[in-house]
Amino acid sequence: MTLLNLVDVSVRYGRLTAVRGVSINLKEGEVLFITGPNGAGKSSLLRAIAGVTPTAGGHVEFDGAEITGRTPEDIARLGFSMVPEGREVFGSLTIEENLMVGAGMHSRTPGWKGQTAADLDSVYNTFPILKERRNQQAGLLSGGQQQMLVIGRALMARPRLIAIDEPSLGLAPNITDQVYERLIALQAERSLTLLIVEQSSTRAVMIGGRMILMRSGQVVLDGDARELGNSEAMQAAYFGYEDH
Amino acid sequence: MSTSSPALDPILSAEAIAARKPGPFSLAGKSIVTPILLVLILLAIAIVTTMIGSKPFNQVIIDLFVRVILVVGLYVFIGNSGVMSFGQIGFTCLGAYVAAWLTINPVMKKMSLPGLPDFILKTKMEYWQAAIFATIFAAVAALVFGRILMRLSGIAASIATFAMLAMINTIYSNWDRVTGATSSVVGIPIVRSIWPYFTAAGIVIFIAWLHAISRSGLALRAARDEPTAAAASGIDIPKERLIAFVISGAIMGVGGALTAHSIGVVTPDNFYLSLTFVTLSMLVVGGMGSLTGSVLGVVILSALIQALRFLEAGVPVGGSMLALPKGLQEIALGIIMIVILALRPSGLFGNRELTLTRNRSE
Amino acid sequence: MLQIVFDALSLGSLYALGALGIALIFGVMRLVNFAHGDVIAFSIFALLWPSTDAMAIVFAGNLPWFLLIPFVLLVGAGLSVLCEIVVFRRFRNTNPATMMIASFALGFVIRYFLLMLYSSRPKSISLLPILSQPVEMLGARLPLLQLITIIVTIAILFGLVIFLRRTRFGLEMRAAAENFSMARMLGVRANRVIMGAFALSGALAGAIALIFGIQTGTADIQMGAAVMLMAFISTVIGGLGSLAGAVLAGFLLGAASVVMQVILPVDARPFRDAFVYGAVILVLLFRPQGLIAARGTKERV
Repeated sequence: MTLLNLVDVSVRYGRLTAVRGVSINLKEGEVLFITGPNGAGKSSLLRAIAGVTPTAGGHVEFDGAEITGRTPEDIARLGFSMVPEGREVFGSLTIEENLMVGAGMHSRTPGWKGQTAADLDSVYNTFPILKERRNQQAGLLSGGQQQMLVIGRALMARPRLIAIDEPSLGLAPNITDQVYERLIALQAERSLTLLIVEQSSTRAVMIGGRMILMRSGQVVLDGDARELGNSEAMQAAYFGYEDH
Repeated sequence: MSTSSPALDPILSAEAIAARKPGPFSLAGKSIVTPILLVLILLAIAIVTTMIGSKPFNQVIIDLFVRVILVVGLYVFIGNSGVMSFGQIGFTCLGAYVAAWLTINPVMKKMSLPGLPDFILKTKMEYWQAAIFATIFAAVAALVFGRILMRLSGIAASIATFAMLAMINTIYSNWDRVTGATSSVVGIPIVRSIWPYFTAAGIVIFIAWLHAISRSGLALRAARDEPTAAAASGIDIPKERLIAFVISGAIMGVGGALTAHSIGVVTPDNFYLSLTFVTLSMLVVGGMGSLTGSVLGVVILSALIQALRFLEAGVPVGGSMLALPKGLQEIALGIIMIVILALRPSGLFGNRELTLTRNRSE
Repeated sequence: MLQIVFDALSLGSLYALGALGIALIFGVMRLVNFAHGDVIAFSIFALLWPSTDAMAIVFAGNLPWFLLIPFVLLVGAGLSVLCEIVVFRRFRNTNPATMMIASFALGFVIRYFLLMLYSSRPKSISLLPILSQPVEMLGARLPLLQLITIIVTIAILFGLVIFLRRTRFGLEMRAAAENFSMARMLGVRANRVIMGAFALSGALAGAIALIFGIQTGTADIQMGAAVMLMAFISTVIGGLGSLAGAVLAGFLLGAASVVMQVILPVDARPFRDAFVYGAVILVLLFRPQGLIAARGTKERV
């Protein structure tokens, strides 16, 4: 069942076109990697879906509902949780407070307090280091810990889809391994849909799933991560060999 | 420039590169149209005013020209550097009082401002001579304050300039023997002809233009738009800011002197928050990054104010009088400004300048 | 000596409250609200029937204190929220200069509205006169109002801290102040948080208006201006985005003003403010990011 549908989406910054007519269909429970070189438009695309950057064309549907042009908070409340590039923890808030910010959107539902407490416990089980430091300021955490925090924070919103922009940025490979390990476990556990942007396709190949390659704002390849992974087509497309 | 595609150009020799380096005022050619057009517009206004021959209207236009000088002075610093300075009117205050000190009748001076040094007490010079000294004094003050403040950026700089303005105001409001404190200093010779003000405004516009197209002005605008890249290119940001600050201060100083000569009276509160915000508003509404915006912003807003004043006095429509209730004039002005800014956040002219040809915006 | 301490505290309280009002809005919107001083004036004038007389005809001012105080606070909050809905909402993502001038123009409109209704003559009002009576405390005689000012400020600060740290809405406001965009991505409703900030800021303006009105016994259109200059300065010195910093800086500026008044030689006393402003410039030179740089504050370009 289609959870996220992008139809001919474009994003422009002034006279610069970052995304040109991208169409993607993402099914519930899928794990989709979007890779591509710098400036390919991957982050812009994610921000457009999240409602942070306005679209210059096309439309986006989430769970059957039209979300183009809606505010980020409305989109988040529909079940789309975005973890932007650079982690963006609330540095002056504690870890627990960071997590609680994500939980607020469901406060009107009955039994919220109990459910949230349960959610919190579950996040702490997945990322024990967060529990240890629950009352420390988030700004003091290391990069890897912050990445875990923002994933946990996104989870507290009880999303159906989590979009993560460059989770491995600035992290040592072994830390990134840990983060991905937990992420994939969570995905399986809760049947989450994952949309992950990574500059390098190595992760995608390691973990498997679907992969899309973007270059210059357009989708160039779309297929199984492992198949595409080290193929000639992949390298050519990534570096744009055929254009010269 | 080169007409061949850059990818195929051979590597240029050092001499060839040097030969292509632009001179200090290389942009003068095309862009001189802007100040010329602006001065012509002001000239037209001056001529019409002389023809109308009404004294009150003459005074209104004198005020307009003085405001043009002040707002252009603001543009030189704020528009080019991107640093919102609330302090520039402080220099106006300094300039105005210098004009007062040097042009008031010595007998009156001895009575009202006894604390002034002897050589000032004895002097009485022509207004234009005093204006020159006012300019120098203000420029020196700008140099002193500027050395201290130009290292700051953003909001810290803005508040520091606010503090500077407040400091000048406090000192002038309390230094009884030299400035007369809060009581008005009267006896300044009034210059009633419109032409000195027009001339000053014209000169100021050209100075602002020269600065803007100079290497310093360009460097400053580069730093405004991309501070990191600018610094990495070797631009000394504090120094370029200081240059603009001093030129701005000088212009504000001459504006202050002319203000003094336009009404014959000065008090510190005339050069404080009210004037600061009126001139800043004219700058922002006109377009902060544009010389055209500064000049035409003043003209348009002044016209608006006059129109509102006129309406408040009452306009016969049909058989009856249509008039705005008292006090509504300022409210209407405020609302109009908000509407303009909501519709055009970069001001009426944004970053663009008045030219004759249709060219793409900078 | 004790007198000086109380003077410093009570002046500092006023500045701190003013700074807090500015900092709250700056935190969520990066807007320096120049209309704040006029909201203060409006809150007091709301107590009077419109008239140009010097003796004000008080209508709501005759209410008993437990109705009077909430009334003024509500007027302040209400006007502030109205400003946001009608004006500031249109300027959400504009450059700082435009926002500042827009807020100034708005203040201008409010001020001349008051001028139109009430004329520029300060009006004498008599609010809660018992508070002006002096009180003996620890060997110093001070007006009860000064003591009340200090106590009320502390109570307000305390209440605000609890609100911000213990309630969900407070948490959302703090998150939004630190990183507005990220907070929205987590479902925090932008409009509500901003309105909350404006409401709180407006209520603080009302509180300042009350204190000032009782202290001076007059309602004057300019009453907000004096406090506001120091409030702006405090907000910046305290560290933009830091409420604690704004409050701290407010108290420090109040203390500095009072201390200068005392230690300066008599001839220099009228220039006291000039020294304070000079000190401000010095602080900014050495610590441009403010006393308490809010950790993790994003420079929103």
